[in-house]
Amino acid sequence: MLAQQLVNGLFLGAVYALFAVGYTLVFGVLDILNLAHAAIYMIAAFTAYSLVAHGLPIGVAFAGGTILAGTVGILLDRIAFAPLRRRNAGTLVPLISSIGAAIIIGAIARGIYGIDERHFVDGGIDSPPIHIGPVTFTAVEAIIFATAIALMLVLSYVLRATTLGRNIRAVSQDRIAAALLGVNIERTIAATFFIASALGGAAGILTGLEYNSVSIDMAGSIELKGLAVIILGGMGSITGAVIGGFVIGAVETLAVAYGLSEWRDALTFGVMFVILVARPAGIFGARALRNA
Amino acid sequence: MKKTLLCALALTLALGTALPGAAALTKGPAAGKTVKVGVIADVTGSGAVYGTMQRNAYDLANDDVKTGIIDAGGANLSFDVEDAASDPAQVVNLMQKFTTDGATPLVLGPTLSGEAFRAFPIAKAANFPVMGTSTTAEGVTAIGPTIFRDSLAESQAIPPTVARVQQTWHAKTVAIIYGDDNAFTKTDGDLFAREFQKTGASVVDTETFHIGDKDFGPALTKIASKKPDAIAIGGLFPEATQIIAQAGKLGIKAHMLGGNGLNSTQMYQTAGPASLGVVVGAAWFIGGKYTGNLEFVKRFKAKYGTTPDQFAAQAYAAAQVVASLVKAGAVTKDALLAGLRNVHVVQTVLGPIAFDQNRDVRAAPVVLKIVKGGFAYF
Repeated sequence: MLAQQLVNGLFLGAVYALFAVGYTLVFGVLDILNLAHAAIYMIAAFTAYSLVAHGLPIGVAFAGGTILAGTVGILLDRIAFAPLRRRNAGTLVPLISSIGAAIIIGAIARGIYGIDERHFVDGGIDSPPIHIGPVTFTAVEAIIFATAIALMLVLSYVLRATTLGRNIRAVSQDRIAAALLGVNIERTIAATFFIASALGGAAGILTGLEYNSVSIDMAGSIELKGLAVIILGGMGSITGAVIGGFVIGAVETLAVAYGLSEWRDALTFGVMFVILVARPAGIFGARALRNA
Repeated sequence: MKKTLLCALALTLALGTALPGAAALTKGPAAGKTVKVGVIADVTGSGAVYGTMQRNAYDLANDDVKTGIIDAGGANLSFDVEDAASDPAQVVNLMQKFTTDGATPLVLGPTLSGEAFRAFPIAKAANFPVMGTSTTAEGVTAIGPTIFRDSLAESQAIPPTVARVQQTWHAKTVAIIYGDDNAFTKTDGDLFAREFQKTGASVVDTETFHIGDKDFGPALTKIASKKPDAIAIGGLFPEATQIIAQAGKLGIKAHMLGGNGLNSTQMYQTAGPASLGVVVGAAWFIGGKYTGNLEFVKRFKAKYGTTPDQFAAQAYAAAQVVASLVKAGAVTKDALLAGLRNVHVVQTVLGPIAFDQNRDVRAAPVVLKIVKGGFAYF
């Protein structure tokens, strides 16, 4: 049973991690908590659902939903954050602005799709179970896991080895110095929002596919978990978000495995509390993006 | 010749009463009188998924009274649906409005038990008849002597369901999985445990979840390790479909069953092949051959494009009960209250129903199994 539970935890953790890397990326660059990240996660899943419902293959729908999520991220920055940034509004005002944006995105989605749960494929996505020793999973779960890991590796590469990545890291370290060195700050921030939101959107689509279910309330259930993951990992740390995602996924799974299902969420946040008491800045400390 | 005419007349009359939809507008003691029943339903807000079904059922009932399909003895009976917007404060306001406007003799609704606990004391204080159609929590009718309901409580639906499946399954071990943050699903979990134990089965594992959860892999993996003969689900539709589908993915072969929360025609469509054979103990069967039920389903689908669910059926049945009282001449609140207290049996889309001394509905649950595209009797 333990092997199966660890695999369950890995699948869960991969999606938490993917959601959280986008969340923490924006924080690392701008020092703001974008609470509309979960709304983008939800709207991307609905977009992919719509594309599938119109007969497009799931791969195309995934790309479409991810690109839309990135575009919504850029718009979100232009409308909700950039004007505040120009007025030096600090960090608390953008937080409220992002809550407003989340509510508006939620209302739009409710207006378009209603409150009912939607399904990519009626009766479930046909995916035969794969048995490896004591462990069972489906091909779809394996693809979702591989996609999440691949996207996180791509992000890591972009941040470490490309000009854009260097610019993002420069802006996250010192915006004024980066500008003096010729980095286009606003364009870099827009790119950051695109990447972060696209990753959040990808997590939403993968979750929707995993459970064959897309609904308005899916944003609510990931929001707090995502926040827990990035705080646990260390605010702004990509590696921390990945590790944090897998830790939270494993704790949730093992809590249920060892007979504590009614204490699952309390235990998850309890573990977070204990780690934060030991390491107040999270597992990977603060602002590790600079060294990504 | 005279004999032939008489035979033809008798045949016409017999056919006229036997064919639903062909009912003529009859004239009873309340003929020509106007009776406007108040309905409180969550047409918008978090309860809208249920309240919309109820509103649609009452709108259909309004049509059916006009055409005589629902026989109100020639009275101008109508159901005036007001939206409570899933807001308890609005439920209270509406109940106050209906009980004091002098024009409303009876109220149907509200949609949720939590709302009923706020609103029904107002009806009790005003000695005003109300009937819940979806408020299944324990203690709702105990609020007062004017409170009735036509929805089967879980405590009425689950014991016969477990007894029935055990005649076939003879399960020795059972695992229970239920939502522990909702009164309805928790009641289901407790009842399943108690009733299976009564049949000699032992509960080998109990898992809980929260409304809105999507990932049941860990809980089901643990259940699978205990190898139970049966798994009982205390859940509502969204979680139950995930549990069933994910149990299928993990290759779990145990029998599965659930209560009213699983009674949706979308079950197979959503949970897929893993749901085949899952047993549902419920208050209503969409394919039930009760008087007018299949016609109700057909007309509902024609009017709204979707099949009715149990919420719609229970609302429509309430309209049928009220119409039967109005037909007998009850048009004031006191007469309707007396009528409800003396209901013997009313034929409804839920089957024949009556009320017991606690003003709860007296009816038998239906035990169904999920088949391709819907349900069949277990």
